[in-house]
Amino acid sequence: MVVIESKGISDVGKKRTGNEDAMFLDDSMNLYVVADGMGGHQAGEVASSIVVETIRDYMKQFKGKGVTEELEDTDESISRGANRLVSSIHLANNGVYGLSQKNESYEGMGSTVSAVLFTDESLIAVNVGDSPIYLIHKDEIELISVPHTVLAEQAAIDPDRAKNLAPRFAHMLTRAVGIGETIKPDVCETPYFKGDILVLSSDGLSDKVAPEEILKTVGKEQTNKACSALVDLANERGGDDNITVIVLKVKDKKNQKGWFAWLMSKIGKIV
Amino acid sequence: MPILTLKFKDNVIKEYDLEKGKSLSIGRREENNIVIDNLAVSGHHAKIDSVGEGFLATDLQSKNGSFVNEQFISTHWLKHGDVITIGKHSIVFEYKDGETKPETANPQENMDQTMVMDTNSYKSMLAKSSPNAASPDISKEPVGVLSYVAGGQGEVEISKKLFKIGKASTNDIVVSGFLVGQVAATISKRPGGFFFTYSGGTSKPKVNGVSVTESVQLKDFDVIEIGSAKMHFFVK
Repeated sequence: MVVIESKGISDVGKKRTGNEDAMFLDDSMNLYVVADGMGGHQAGEVASSIVVETIRDYMKQFKGKGVTEELEDTDESISRGANRLVSSIHLANNGVYGLSQKNESYEGMGSTVSAVLFTDESLIAVNVGDSPIYLIHKDEIELISVPHTVLAEQAAIDPDRAKNLAPRFAHMLTRAVGIGETIKPDVCETPYFKGDILVLSSDGLSDKVAPEEILKTVGKEQTNKACSALVDLANERGGDDNITVIVLKVKDKKNQKGWFAWLMSKIGKIV
Repeated sequence: MPILTLKFKDNVIKEYDLEKGKSLSIGRREENNIVIDNLAVSGHHAKIDSVGEGFLATDLQSKNGSFVNEQFISTHWLKHGDVITIGKHSIVFEYKDGETKPETANPQENMDQTMVMDTNSYKSMLAKSSPNAASPDISKEPVGVLSYVAGGQGEVEISKKLFKIGKASTNDIVVSGFLVGQVAATISKRPGGFFFTYSGGTSKPKVNGVSVTESVQLKDFDVIEIGSAKMHFFVK
């Protein structure tokens, strides 16, 4: 059992007329998604909303206890929950890519996606593109998503060389949902603790606000205040892009131990 | 096409024609297109590139910096009347009379917008931007390995994102021992490295002899002890 308090804001920013970001939060499913769409006209908005809705609808079927059919090609290196989330992103990719092939005005549209799912044993963070997922544990902030940008990938190989890359590479993605027939999301699965905080955002926030500033803001504020404080900060600094932020706090976490483990823990205390 | 006028104080030294698709380099050394023979100017000080319909001035991390309209710049989209200052020299960027000027100073304003590139254009752009840049090999991820010192034999690769160690048979490594948890500990692979986390059981696992009650990041050759098992961790 996990209890999560969450808040999300999606703001158009100061320069754009439309909002190409989309988000989804559900504390009963423990599922949180940010998608940052791209493509001319309204295509970016279409792409990001398809992504968010597909993930939501696919994951919804697991909410009840009814067993439903699952997609094949499960990856043994990740848990069942992670496999489901990855499957939902594959479905979203098919949806966006399919539409872009059929409709000329949607040609080349795509979207990033960053999704977090809590299961009893771990938190699962899956991403494609450059929308960051930060994990804050005991006053330390850590990026647990993998930025799929030319700049980040070059920096991983040779930090010095990356510094000399033209600034445009900072926004150039190497992967995005809906651009090709297949997609490879990055998956991170890790245990979590009561008090941990996660921040999911679009690059409209991360371009303007440094991780240390995010850490400071969410550390001292309630989730809803932290969320609006972060959006305000990005807007004060120009608000060049759409800004979407989800802040979530793990309020409580109860391990569902079996009676045996419970008994052993009691014995352990006596011993 | 616009012209650049090189001046020293108010005296015009020389004019240069800009051309679409051509870059101009500015510096003290003779191999530059615009040579400014002054010690305040770096050997390769700045450059001006033709990008799309516009021109982009870029400082080449020069010692004394480049300025446009008295503002320090690293890159700047040039517009009519801009004055680039390099040392004590100035270079004026102007379109000729009657020439159509691009509507925005930055014709590539959309560059700010996120875009995706396919692998081929990625490689070719990188090659242009930085000739020595390697294309990333995403298949080459670091693999964590546990090597038994006691309580087992050989090496076990951390093949899962969330790798479990404990008494239950469903774990990736099964260990025995009194009061060891059904799942005693997990190792999660995160972008920042491998993290060892205590999960359950009265007998706490140890890393380098210290009981782990929550989570620690693993380093090469850390020693992990859980119940009967003792293992070295390293990254391959």
